[in-house]
Amino acid sequence: MSIGIRVALGINQADPVFRRRNQLRLVAFLSPLAFILLWWWVSRMEIFPTQLLVSPDAVLLAFLELLDSGELWEHLSVSLSRLGTGFLIGASSGLLFGILMALSRTIEDLFAPLFQALRQVPSIALIPIFILLFGIEEVFKVAIVVKAAFFTVALASYESTKGIPRHYFEVAQAYQLPARKLYTSVVIPAILLPVLTGFRIAFARSWTILVAAELLAADSGLGHMMQMGREMFRIDVVMVGVVLTGLIGFGIDRIFKWGEARLIPWRKA
Amino acid sequence: MPQALVGKEISMSALNTVLSFARQQAPQYQLQDRVQRQPGPVDLAIQRVGKTFQLAGENLNVLSDINLDIRSGEFISIVGASGCGKSTLLKLVAGLDTQYEGDIVYQGKRIEGTDLGRGIVFQEHRLFPWLTVEANIELAFSATNVSKPERRKRVQAQIDLVGLSGFEKAYPHQISGGMSQRVAIARALILRPQLLLLDEPFAALDALTRLKLQQELQRLWEHQGLTTILVTHDVEEAVFLGDQVVVMQSHPGRIKRIVPVSLPRPRIRTAPAFHAIRDDVLTDFV
Ligand SMILES: Nc1ncnc2c1ncn2[C@@H]1O[C@H](COP(=O)(O)OP(=O)(O)OP(=O)(O)O)[C@@H](O)[C@H]1O
Ligand SMILES: [Mg+2]
Repeated sequence: MSIGIRVALGINQADPVFRRRNQLRLVAFLSPLAFILLWWWVSRMEIFPTQLLVSPDAVLLAFLELLDSGELWEHLSVSLSRLGTGFLIGASSGLLFGILMALSRTIEDLFAPLFQALRQVPSIALIPIFILLFGIEEVFKVAIVVKAAFFTVALASYESTKGIPRHYFEVAQAYQLPARKLYTSVVIPAILLPVLTGFRIAFARSWTILVAAELLAADSGLGHMMQMGREMFRIDVVMVGVVLTGLIGFGIDRIFKWGEARLIPWRKA
Repeated sequence: MPQALVGKEISMSALNTVLSFARQQAPQYQLQDRVQRQPGPVDLAIQRVGKTFQLAGENLNVLSDINLDIRSGEFISIVGASGCGKSTLLKLVAGLDTQYEGDIVYQGKRIEGTDLGRGIVFQEHRLFPWLTVEANIELAFSATNVSKPERRKRVQAQIDLVGLSGFEKAYPHQISGGMSQRVAIARALILRPQLLLLDEPFAALDALTRLKLQQELQRLWEHQGLTTILVTHDVEEAVFLGDQVVVMQSHPGRIKRIVPVSLPRPRIRTAPAFHAIRDDVLTDFV
């Protein structure tokens, strides 16, 4: 069943059947394995120059070498702390801004057009301006992550808050819920699922843009490591970066999905 | 005799049994019962009320010149075709919509907003899917300063009263539609409102559950001395429960006539007098 049909039928994540399907089973490893085998075979056939298409085992060796020297961990920890800081700031302010813009007519009138225009600007197009504004150091890299996370989460929380049924607000009005209670008991739970999905998308975007920014201008981080590898013609090092970028993105996405199913115990089967 | 005073609940249900027995046995008891239940002064005055919606640039006159006096402790049923403005009227009385013409005066004051003393059960149960049964009911206390243990105690008592003991921790999707409606009724009753507004609370239920809940509602109304307005599609339900049945007409929504139901309670659905009133109201629909 395609995702579209699942959504249309209202089959959701907390459904035990869905959860079971959602868990990685052995067959899930078949296609990556086949891919690696194909990669290994193509590099063995020397269709491309061996310096350009390095074999998987060479990448593994480079990985172990980088791990051993401590170099990899250094770059990785720098990248992850930039990602963490930027995502935290961007996602939390985006969440707040999105909700407020949906609930307050004034804020919506003031900011919605600007917001809708700015969110269309690709983060990557902002890299040069951000370098000019924030310099080439840490601030620029965190700022670009903040930008990517903020707009994605703000859009998700704005649209989902707008979509809260009027019915719920009428109940809140009938029982004269105080503002704090309105947020904790009505607004936040009502938008939790779409906002979590927004978080996942925002995270993927943040991670991608960070690696891109590090490729262009950095003296540390995973992207920088790949850039250095390219300059020194160490394609195996570049490939270590590529594989890790993918694996980290995938891993954190799984964590979000896992959290989604557990945070929402009220979803019907 | 201490044993006769074991608990209020027990003595109340005993009283009810005695009363219904007495009604069957001797007509003079009925008379006494009615005297005791006689409605008080006018509690809610709906005066020349009109409501117009803006729909696609056009003015839609949904309610026009509604006049209705409701006495304290009275049970009013409102029937009318779909779209004649019943829910709209109920929302005005609840104070959820204050843009209207005319006056709705409750206990001497024009209604300008919601009031915890006026409880409403919506056409759909409107429970929050992310809150358990007890949390949904307890939410009603949010704007009060009732203490936490007192809230707990009253929620539990209310859950027992609507027959949902054991389902305190269930989420709405884990209970049936009828049970959800009972939770919604419990939520509306927990603050002990003096005026209860019910918008087709049993419409989505099967006939059997509906009969049972109608009886429960009647019991609650008798025990708590509530003033009640019940909106319904079901003429039999309206006659079974109401002191008066208000028949509404559409385009624009207005009161066609008011039929008093002066039958003793509990009403016997199979009695000829009951049928006569029901059929009389039904003639307005054909
Ligand atoms: N918010 C609104 N905006 C515009 N029109 C509305 C709105 N709410 C209700 N109406 C209109 O008012 C009329 C009466 O609606 P209402 O819900 O009061 O009917 P009802 O008598 O409760 O019907 P039903 O028995 O089907 O529940 C309908 O024609 C409806 O289209
Ligand atoms: Mg209605």
